[in-house]
Amino acid sequence: FSSSEYRMNSDGQPAKFQPPPKPVIIDKQKQREERRFLSPEFIPPRGRTDPFKFFIERKDMIQRRKVFNIPEFYVGSVLAVTTADPYANEKVNRFVGICVQRGGKGLGATFVLRNVIEDQGVEICYELYNPRIQAIEVLKLEKRLDDNLMYLRDALPEYSTFDMNMKPVSRLDHEEIPVNKLQVRMKPKPWSKRWERPKYNIKGIKFELPEKKMKEAQKWSQPWLEFDMLREYDTSKIEEKIWKEVSEELKK
Amino acid sequence: MAGWGLLGRLWGRLGAAAPGRPLWAAKRGGPTPGRSPGVTGASAAASLHRDLWSPPSGEACGCPLGQLGFAVRHVNSTTWWHEHLSEENVQFLKKITAEEYKAQTASKLCPLKDEPWPLNEWKPDSIRVGVVAVKLGMMPIWTKSGKKHAVTLLKVQDCHVLRYISKEESGGKTSKLLVGGKNASPFSKSESAMEIFKEAGVPRKQKVTTFNVTDDAIIKPGTPLYAAHFRPGQFVDVTAKTIGKGFQGVMKRWGFKGQPASHGQTKTHRRPGAISTNKAAKVYRGKKMPGKMGNIYRTSFGLKVWRINTKHDIIYVNGSVPGHTNCLVKVKDSKLPTYKDCNKNPPFPTFFADGDEKLPEDLYDEEIFQFTDPSVTYA
Repeated sequence: FSSSEYRMNSDGQPAKFQPPPKPVIIDKQKQREERRFLSPEFIPPRGRTDPFKFFIERKDMIQRRKVFNIPEFYVGSVLAVTTADPYANEKVNRFVGICVQRGGKGLGATFVLRNVIEDQGVEICYELYNPRIQAIEVLKLEKRLDDNLMYLRDALPEYSTFDMNMKPVSRLDHEEIPVNKLQVRMKPKPWSKRWERPKYNIKGIKFELPEKKMKEAQKWSQPWLEFDMLREYDTSKIEEKIWKEVSEELKK
Repeated sequence: MAGWGLLGRLWGRLGAAAPGRPLWAAKRGGPTPGRSPGVTGASAAASLHRDLWSPPSGEACGCPLGQLGFAVRHVNSTTWWHEHLSEENVQFLKKITAEEYKAQTASKLCPLKDEPWPLNEWKPDSIRVGVVAVKLGMMPIWTKSGKKHAVTLLKVQDCHVLRYISKEESGGKTSKLLVGGKNASPFSKSESAMEIFKEAGVPRKQKVTTFNVTDDAIIKPGTPLYAAHFRPGQFVDVTAKTIGKGFQGVMKRWGFKGQPASHGQTKTHRRPGAISTNKAAKVYRGKKMPGKMGNIYRTSFGLKVWRINTKHDIIYVNGSVPGHTNCLVKVKDSKLPTYKDCNKNPPFPTFFADGDEKLPEDLYDEEIFQFTDPSVTYA
């Protein structure tokens, strides 16, 4: 007994057998390979320097990365950094914090970690290629809505507190990096910078200011900036070349 | 070409020294008859003589005349080297000069096999040659104790010895060696300027400097100089032209304090104030005043060499160096007496690449942290 004989079309005639749709196989490894991450300090700044100088610097950076693992992280991820400290009891110093800013290019690249320890906000600026750094662990890998989280200084302290003994949050390899769309609540004004102004272009603050103030802040907007062609710096081709070079060297 | 000298001197009086026809003449409808470069010296001189006594008119002589009747040199009346050449010829010239350069550099790669001048031993009194390098940029480096220092990268690009001038010839206290830096195009220079390069058998260089050298350190012209001429741990002096800032006021140029911004100051905020005293009744020579700042030669003394890259000929020199990025600098052994001990036993008279010494790709100073080592610990 099979029900296929009794299957009917919308016309009422006997339906042809439709095989089930083929299963779509998501190749996790391919997805992992397709997702390329080039650390922002590899991209050379715009200027009149000889690209050869950046090549020489990159050789040193790759050499350091072969010996010491610098993981992938973004502004908004929580990191734990252990450095060698001659004045500490066990010559090592461990600091956990949220990455608030990534600056500098080449060997002098830096990142700033922020945490609130015993009600005191602490920001430490580390150099990525400093030989005194013993380990960098990413406890929580995520992105935020902005590239620069300096406004956390004027936000409520709960948004910058992280437990020093925080356990690393597990995540699967192939998943896309989660974007935390958290809107941060601020302390009452005055702030260190006028974050509501359009030049900072901050999306991660829940502004509880009156409408009038927000409108007044828009007076300082410069809408012509996005159309300024001289400010355009298209790094796609440079990034491709550098990504190829770096990945080949690191595989060796 | 001989006629050109005569013509040139006569033309100089009228103020037009262009070797070719000026562009404006072409606009007026074709070349003027007697002024093409092909004219022989005598007839040119004769026609010129006629012209000097004729009333000045724009068309008769080859240069444009201004209101007053004197010749006016206009931007359009100067030429560049390939203005009167066809496209094919330009490409051909560029190709053969490139090939010639390659041949010249290849022929100079083995100076030790080419009957070099006698090699002497280094003595504490000997002063050896320096090198011309290109300033690439700056970079941080770390020492084994974890301290960070900033270094400047200097790339020794196509550095050759050009000429030897003996003590008697130069009239100084020591003999001199002319050294040239980066390769450049030979077309924009006159034949007389290119003579030095032709004698040495070397392409035209962008910067030519003199080094005062003792007689036991002289080198045959044409020998290439490399970054391995210096060793890590020694100290050098670097000379270059500082970045030009143009005409600057007294506050930026000399660091004067100026005047307050408010509290009644009338139109005086960045002025020098008093320039002399009543008793002096004059302004002293050398008084610090506004003027052109920068674009002069300055030297940074006693810079430590941290690292040498022999493959790409790069010298890593401590601290900053005068000049903008990609400018040509002159690097010598330091003359400061404190570093006399550190500069002992250098490669003398220079480092020969085809000699017995085979150096590794990177030479590091003892204290520098090499990136092949694991992280620094204080155990």
